[in-house]
Amino acid sequence: MTPITLADIGLKEFTLQNLPRLQELRSQYFSRRPEICIERARYITKYLRLHDDLEDSPEIRQAKKVSYFLHRKSAQFHDRNLLAGNTTSKALGAPLFPEFFALTLWPELETVSKRTKNPQLLTDAEANELNLEIFPFWMDRNVLEITRTRFGNPKCLQLFENLVFFIAAKAGCISHAVPAYSLMLEQGVSGLITMAAEREGELAAAGDPKNKQQIDFFRAVQIALEGIIAHAKQLAKEAEQLARAANDPAEAAEFAEIAAICRQVPAGPARTFREAINALWICQVGIHAENINMAMSPGRLDQILYPYYRRDITEGRLDVGQAIELVGCLWLKIADNVTMVPEASEELFGGAGTVPAITLGGVDANGEDAVNDLTYIMLRVTELLAIRDPNVNARYDYEKNSTAYCRRVSEAILNTKSVPAFFNDTANITALTGQGETLEHARDYAVIGCVELASSGRDYPASSSIMMNLAAPLEMALFRGKRPITGDEQIGPVTEDPSTLRSFEEFWQVFKIQLDWLIGQAIQLNEYMGSVHQEMMPSPLLSALFIGPMDKGKDLIQGGALYNSSGATHIGFADVVDSLNAIEQTVFIAKKFTFSELLEQVRANFSGPQGEKVRLYLQNHAPKYGTEAPIARKNSRNLVQHLFNLYQSHINYRGGRYRPSYWTMTNHAGLGGISGALPHGRKAGEVFSSGMTPVSGAAPELTACLNAVAELGGELVPGGWALNIKYTPEADVAKMAERFAQTIDAYFRAGGQQVQFNIMTYEMLLDAKKHPEKYPELMVRVSGYSAYFKDLNEMMKDELITRTQYGLADGQAVPLPALQ
Amino acid sequence: MIIPFIEELNAMKMKEEMFDIISTKGIEELWADFRNCFDSEVAEEFLESLLTLMHIMFVVNHHYRRNINQFNGRYQFCSEDGEITVGVIFAHGRMKVVEGMVDAPHITVTFRNGRTLLNFIISPRQDILGSMLKHDVRTEGNLNYLYKFGFMAKQLQLMIPQLG
Repeated sequence: MTPITLADIGLKEFTLQNLPRLQELRSQYFSRRPEICIERARYITKYLRLHDDLEDSPEIRQAKKVSYFLHRKSAQFHDRNLLAGNTTSKALGAPLFPEFFALTLWPELETVSKRTKNPQLLTDAEANELNLEIFPFWMDRNVLEITRTRFGNPKCLQLFENLVFFIAAKAGCISHAVPAYSLMLEQGVSGLITMAAEREGELAAAGDPKNKQQIDFFRAVQIALEGIIAHAKQLAKEAEQLARAANDPAEAAEFAEIAAICRQVPAGPARTFREAINALWICQVGIHAENINMAMSPGRLDQILYPYYRRDITEGRLDVGQAIELVGCLWLKIADNVTMVPEASEELFGGAGTVPAITLGGVDANGEDAVNDLTYIMLRVTELLAIRDPNVNARYDYEKNSTAYCRRVSEAILNTKSVPAFFNDTANITALTGQGETLEHARDYAVIGCVELASSGRDYPASSSIMMNLAAPLEMALFRGKRPITGDEQIGPVTEDPSTLRSFEEFWQVFKIQLDWLIGQAIQLNEYMGSVHQEMMPSPLLSALFIGPMDKGKDLIQGGALYNSSGATHIGFADVVDSLNAIEQTVFIAKKFTFSELLEQVRANFSGPQGEKVRLYLQNHAPKYGTEAPIARKNSRNLVQHLFNLYQSHINYRGGRYRPSYWTMTNHAGLGGISGALPHGRKAGEVFSSGMTPVSGAAPELTACLNAVAELGGELVPGGWALNIKYTPEADVAKMAERFAQTIDAYFRAGGQQVQFNIMTYEMLLDAKKHPEKYPELMVRVSGYSAYFKDLNEMMKDELITRTQYGLADGQAVPLPALQ
Repeated sequence: MIIPFIEELNAMKMKEEMFDIISTKGIEELWADFRNCFDSEVAEEFLESLLTLMHIMFVVNHHYRRNINQFNGRYQFCSEDGEITVGVIFAHGRMKVVEGMVDAPHITVTFRNGRTLLNFIISPRQDILGSMLKHDVRTEGNLNYLYKFGFMAKQLQLMIPQLG
């Protein structure tokens, strides 16, 4: 346990007013418009066109490609941030990764800068270069097309391209990882290079041809890491030039100091808090040179950076205000990039950030309270900046962490109205030990991206591999392997006509047949794409920052990490559970309708007076997930259990198991928008509920809702979940924070894994939709990540508006006002 | 219905002949047809208009022609009702339109009607994903070829005001 030395853990004396640098940087951040950055695409394409050697191993080819780019990556200083390095060449950049989905931008090259929704700036010259030089090279070479060519356009790929069954994220990213930065900070990147060189030398000296792959891996690590050092030197050179050119002595001194830091780190060991922060950030930049900017999560920064902070404070080199400023600079650097989103994808992914997750608090490897002064500094920075990225998450162990800490996190959430998210150590550590991780390693978990869990730097979970639309197999069970949206096409197995079934148990079996078949298809495609990644996208740079690859001599993508898995998340969980409840209760128990009658209404989208009558009956009388109804509790438990068993029975291409999770980004809106009516009374086109959250309006009592979700937590959800709760704001924040913390404590003791909040009313969100200009910085939690409300698509805005709002004082749902 | 225009297009081997066609038909009329596809509810003629203008502009506009200078691509367009089956082949810096099926297309696009195809490829708020989600349009093959085609169609659309 680390003693807290701060006089006020709220650090109230530090405000943006007395932190002018952060205030200015924050203001610049909000005024910037995203620009598409083609720098990486340009240099890797040029490298592959002119210099690629097909005789090289995949690891070495990738390392050379990345290093070539890093040697040429521009060194720029867009503002007075104290840290050097940017992920892109733009102040707020959307980098292009042609190995994945960059070519989806092609139709929009002429219009992306001017589109109405979330424009991303692109110069004519850059558009021209993409059209004529870069994109043509990649037409047959991205992950998706290589998979298609190699495996003959398999059924699983066609299902993915149909978009309405599941999303195979490997076509778009490889990322989603938490590196281990401590060794890099202690030894410097040069130290890691030396380690790799020594291992290469030992293996080469053994003279065994079987060592070739390992030798190549260690060689690749050195090549890739040298790219990071080269880029740091460029940053130093540019800072030195800016120091010489500066008229203001203070500015000159600032750039000179930045230059000196870049001459020291990340090549050499970090000696100070500031060097450690900048070293870590330059390595993050290097990681983004290799892999796409999606959920590359820095991890437990309050733990990793604490030794440097404490030493500097003790030795008088640093004060709390300076630490806050440096952490703020890091937060704003992490927010320097966005994803390139083509207009066509706005419906599914609009408004999403890049979700680099930072994890605070919780317990240490020995199970003791890990909250320290830096935890509170990082919470204060999160509160002051209130920006979308990084995605800050607070771990809480109700036995070990203090009540004061829980209240402080609660207060930060109330003040920002949305961040950070809360994670339950007990349930999440249980989830990871259930996956074979040692207790010490599980205790050192960090959040990846939205809500996914991984032992820091030891666990490569590819956590967004599959996004499964659970409504698809339900519809296929209702319509004998077909879905209304895909017409008469036979998608899944021909199962029994539901109207012939005699019990709910028989329908449950039919549903499982369709579910298992569809998940089998998604896993098959993930395996195909995984093997393409192994050849096309090894990650020697990221591997060097992990625990495992440097011991095994094996890249992450080959299974080099200590723990390996693939993650599958699920869309429409609550809607499917409620549909199962409705079928069981109204068809088989109460016999209110026959299955044929129910199907007829579902097919007809509950149209006409009779349809509306049926729909209202289903909504008002069928048991609902999020309540104490025994049928709902049983069905939710059975579905979670079945998915766990099913995924765990599959071993992935890296030798790990599949892990189910429940978070949806904005897919619950997009996929809900195109799905047909469902048996619980949901009409066609209505959004699904997000993540693990009960259907809006279905759970009127907060305590029952939290208990119903919480009892599903722990071992059966190793990938994590997102539960969204909306609270009515109260005037007395301190008083509300106390109740808030008590509710968290109770929910976690009941087993809840995670919860995130929006502290806002229906009316406020309706007003924000109507008058976006009044709410330019309004940040909301979507399903695992934060977004600016104004950036979301209309369906997603409506979903946020209609989410159940609870009054914390009485624990009751607030009635939804009549919507225009 | 679509055969005559294909015959005309494939007959346009020489730039001079192209100019003859333009002068006969009237470029203003061709652009007007194309523009009407965006304005009217019925867009059945969209594919015909698009391919005709695309073909002409590749011949007369060297800047536009750069799109296909070193491009080899084979496209198959089919309407769901079977009324339209058109192939488009880009090779050796030329564009060729063929009635019926082409061999080994890089991408096959099956569309419900002209309006859905227009929305899919070129509408002011292009909606490739939405069209696919709603199953207005189905594709089979390499979508990157479709993205390139979409860009060329969009460029053509953006030329309308310059000539209007």
